[in-house]
Amino acid sequence: MKNQDRGIISDYDLKKGSVKIGYGIMLFFIAVMVFSMLYPFFTTLFNGVKGNVEVNSFPPHFLPQEWHFDNFKTAWIYIKLPLFLRNTLYIFVGNMAVTAFVLGLAAFSLSRLNVPGQKYIYMFFMIALFIPPTTYIIPNFINLKDLHLLNTFWAFWLPAGASAFNLLILKEFFDGIHMELFESGRIDGASEFRLFLQIAVPLSVPIFSTIAIFVFAGAWNDWYWPSLVLHNDSHYPLSTAIYKYVLNARMLDTNIRFALLSMVMLPPVLFFLFFQKYIMRGLHIGGVKG
Amino acid sequence: MNQTVVSEGTGPAAIKKGSIARKFRKHFWAYMFLLPAIAIFIVFLWTPIIKGLVYSFYHIDFVKGNTYVGFANYKKIFHDSDVATSVKNTLYYMGLCLAIGIWVPILFSIAISELRRFQGFVRVSAYLPNVVPVVVLYGLWRWLYDPVGPFNSVLMKLGLDQIAFMTDKRWSMISLVIMETWQQFGSAMLIYLAAVLSVPRDWYEAAEIDGAGIWARIRYITLPSIKNLIILMFLLQLIGTSQGFQSQLAMLDGGPNNTTLTYALLINRYAFTRMDYGTASAMGVLMFIVLGALAVIRARVENKGANS
Repeated sequence: MKNQDRGIISDYDLKKGSVKIGYGIMLFFIAVMVFSMLYPFFTTLFNGVKGNVEVNSFPPHFLPQEWHFDNFKTAWIYIKLPLFLRNTLYIFVGNMAVTAFVLGLAAFSLSRLNVPGQKYIYMFFMIALFIPPTTYIIPNFINLKDLHLLNTFWAFWLPAGASAFNLLILKEFFDGIHMELFESGRIDGASEFRLFLQIAVPLSVPIFSTIAIFVFAGAWNDWYWPSLVLHNDSHYPLSTAIYKYVLNARMLDTNIRFALLSMVMLPPVLFFLFFQKYIMRGLHIGGVKG
Repeated sequence: MNQTVVSEGTGPAAIKKGSIARKFRKHFWAYMFLLPAIAIFIVFLWTPIIKGLVYSFYHIDFVKGNTYVGFANYKKIFHDSDVATSVKNTLYYMGLCLAIGIWVPILFSIAISELRRFQGFVRVSAYLPNVVPVVVLYGLWRWLYDPVGPFNSVLMKLGLDQIAFMTDKRWSMISLVIMETWQQFGSAMLIYLAAVLSVPRDWYEAAEIDGAGIWARIRYITLPSIKNLIILMFLLQLIGTSQGFQSQLAMLDGGPNNTTLTYALLINRYAFTRMDYGTASAMGVLMFIVLGALAVIRARVENKGANS
């Protein structure tokens, strides 16, 4: 570790006074940035445990003066959180199953089975990458209505299979698996389906977990589209429910509002902190191409 | 999906000879694997896109049925003053996002690459806002921007005038852009950071021996090395921001006085408030034409980046 590579600035530069000052200014700005990233996060948490008078006092305090943990109890029963959470998980699990099965098989076929006309089929999928989703949001809605999929989870599960981006990263991953593995499997008499299930899938756990993170983030975050497609509490995912019943609620106390927001914020944040290594890698795959 | 498998299942039995048939049989499973994905792409992606084009010439009525109206929807768009406002707002929004959003991540990625300690901590905290669900951010920032919220309390302490971040027409869009830049800063920064760190260290060594100062090293080594990435991120941001409407909708519903009414928000308003799906589809088609051009440019840049 000691002989680790230098950056733009060398150790020699750092001995100069002017560079030292510049470096100090840089550190200061980074510290400000880190503070501005963390401050809103802790504010949400702390506001969630303040008394209602304290949240609304001006100027606001950062740390609570009294800790009201019972806010969370009030918030828990304010809306049917477990139900909405269940709906979010339904959407996530179904989307993931369709992604893994439909796109997994298609990517495997494109990558490993040398179909005639493969190039054109691949192009057919990839053109979709260039179509901005907002431009067809309205006909997409009418299409789902025509198919009688409104207010069902199928309106999320099936279109999850139409992600060119996930197909692309799955195919690129399969491309990297050694051909010999499949050839030896074939010699042993495995069918195409078994090659997929017993060689490709077990080797692709990292890429499937990366995709699972994307799919999860989508299911957890998306509030607008579900609010159009779904019409009642028994289907709303958590984000939509928060938007409808918490953000737009008039009679809700501010501290209870923040307690609810904290409860929605914490699971993905904790998940991120535990799995940040994998998520950062997934981000790098997703960042430039997405 | 079951349906398609069953209907295709009779295929190989029906075909007995001929090279095409043999080829088909050999690749039967390969095609079978592609079929569900092709079916889903057609039904849930291409059908809506084509329907959108068709609907743009119709008046859509879910009860009485659709009627063909020719170019009436397009004419309406060009005569609606809201459309002009929304285009102006969208361009303003895109401009602000670029003005604030483009250079901040580049600057910080270079600075953070120079950190000798705590780099991991800084990265994780910079990415944290990306992980927080957007609905939580909306709730949080409404409070931060409140007339009696933390920002205004800081302004008061500094002896400055209060700002109505949300309701002041001059500030509303800027406030949204600040919020979004803050939220998306981390992912852009990490992408740049990876590129900055992949610049070979000995280039800097060589430059230093040749007497290049720190600014010269950044100017002539770091920035040229990430030039393609900067162009790509620039285009991605253009494509992304041109479609923005969710924060405008959730935070202000296009207000105050339509100052945050973006084009994409107007599409949604036409459809779901005015129930005029035909005009909304036509607006989508127009947007598609503009963004399609951008997307092609992006593909060009991406390929150039991959080849060089």
